Amino acid sequence: MKIEIATVLENKLIASNIWKMKMTAPGIAEQYKGAGQFIQILVQSSWDNPLRRPMSIAAVDGDQIVIIYKVFGRMTQVITEQEAGEELDILGPLGNTFRWGDDEFTPVLVGGGVGLAPILNMYGECTAAGQNAVLVIGARTGAEHFIDHEPQNNVFLATDDGTAGITGTVIPAIAISLKNTGKPEIFACGPEPMLKAVQEFAAAHEIPAQLSVESYMGCGIGICQGCVVERVNGNVSEHSYHEKYSLVCIDGPVYKSEEVIIG
Amino acid sequence: MADLRTKIGAVDFENPIFVASGTYGYGTEVSELADINDLGAIVTKSITRYPREGNPPPRIVETPSGMLNSIGLANIGVEAYIETMIPLYEELETPIIMNVAGSTEAEYCEILEMTESASSNITGYEINISCPNVKAGGMEFGVDCDLTEQLTSRLRKLTERLLIMKLSPNVTDIAAIGIAAERGGADALSAINTLVGMSIDTTNKESNIHFGFGGLSGPAIKPVGLVCVHKVYQAVDIPLIGIGGITCANDVLEYVLAGAAAVQVGTANYRDPDVGNSIIIELDTLLDKNNMGSIPDLVGKVQLGS
Repeated sequence: MKIEIATVLENKLIASNIWKMKMTAPGIAEQYKGAGQFIQILVQSSWDNPLRRPMSIAAVDGDQIVIIYKVFGRMTQVITEQEAGEELDILGPLGNTFRWGDDEFTPVLVGGGVGLAPILNMYGECTAAGQNAVLVIGARTGAEHFIDHEPQNNVFLATDDGTAGITGTVIPAIAISLKNTGKPEIFACGPEPMLKAVQEFAAAHEIPAQLSVESYMGCGIGICQGCVVERVNGNVSEHSYHEKYSLVCIDGPVYKSEEVIIG
Repeated sequence: MADLRTKIGAVDFENPIFVASGTYGYGTEVSELADINDLGAIVTKSITRYPREGNPPPRIVETPSGMLNSIGLANIGVEAYIETMIPLYEELETPIIMNVAGSTEAEYCEILEMTESASSNITGYEINISCPNVKAGGMEFGVDCDLTEQLTSRLRKLTERLLIMKLSPNVTDIAAIGIAAERGGADALSAINTLVGMSIDTTNKESNIHFGFGGLSGPAIKPVGLVCVHKVYQAVDIPLIGIGGITCANDVLEYVLAGAAAVQVGTANYRDPDVGNSIIIELDTLLDKNNMGSIPDLVGKVQLGS
């Protein structure tokens, strides 16, 4: 990991409230290990907002890093104002990666809302590796989607309001996507209710799953101890440390579905 | 080159920039991002008698120019600290100050006894009597003069190393607590720990911190830290270590002028773990450029109107 001053190459709206930023960050790109990893962006140098903001990496190409982000607060709004040529102070690459590559399984990649980036990243990595994968993307409405619903190519969209793809949450869409899939393994990232639903679906159907967990983050490197998620763990005692709570920034953000308690 | 050396008790430090407990882990985690050997000292995370999981999430939230935390003293416990961390400190040039927290006087004493009986090169102890987030954080000591004096004097008998009591701002009269710790035999005082605060998400009416409150840190608390240091400086003769919202050399100078002989950088480490070294370089230039002399010349030299 390192702190690097990246140069913004492109920053544009790609769907309703969804932005894509491409930047040059050779040092971080060089250390990058795979989909699931994230960076911490210092949005502005003033101390009005002391903490960096975590953003999943959506792609790495040579010395370039891509993030895809949803605007949901003032800081993400400020990031949209970054223009090509401007500099951005980023820390990364941080966290672990989705673990895949076992030919026995077909990855079923499930993303929604702020969780699109690592899912699209892994989809790109699967495609590049010649690994067949299924993509399921959920949104509230069609305007938030920036790819097409193409079931024939194993790309499934879901919308809460039925304006694109399959109506409902990602769960019915996953169920439909599995009809033509051999042995599936689910990889998911998205808002907590989505992850919880995916976790329950995977458990009920005995499908292995990995979840990339969201958490409010302070430092991103394990020193503030702020971003914990509760583990499913039998080793918790009155006097334990790091058994009940895992640090999302360094142990995660990707966990086996059966290892963590969502929500 | 300005003379950045400072003295706390019997110990000489290369410079007055320390990193605060709880904001730098056990001191070794950030070596990829910072040259930790250039820091004045590292104050390690609060160590309790037994390991602690800490509080349920959410544990932190950003607030205007600051943040709230309610980590709950998550730590590995004194036995693991002695076994796994202390040997690593042999390799470091930076002085290590071990922060200690307990829920009873006996517990604080036991931690010091255990650490003293192990071979170590740690420079001293900072005693946390001011964690707002858990009962084990010693807050009941930190708000009571008699308990502070009694605890300090018992710990004093257990070690000849540097003994620093860390004071809470969540009291009516911080100077009185400082005087009590001095009477108990403390070599120095550090101030301030976090201020108790609250933050609410109005969209779902939920507290942004699991237990409803946390400790406020960051630039938002700097004016409070400064006045606390100044009040204690006027009341005691032992050196002070200023803490609260330090992000740059000018902040350091303010704390020194208020009465601090050294400072601890805290929340700023979360943004950049190497900020301490940037501040050291900046402080060097600042003192040189203005011919301000050395740190000891400046301690407490704030000018007040009459």
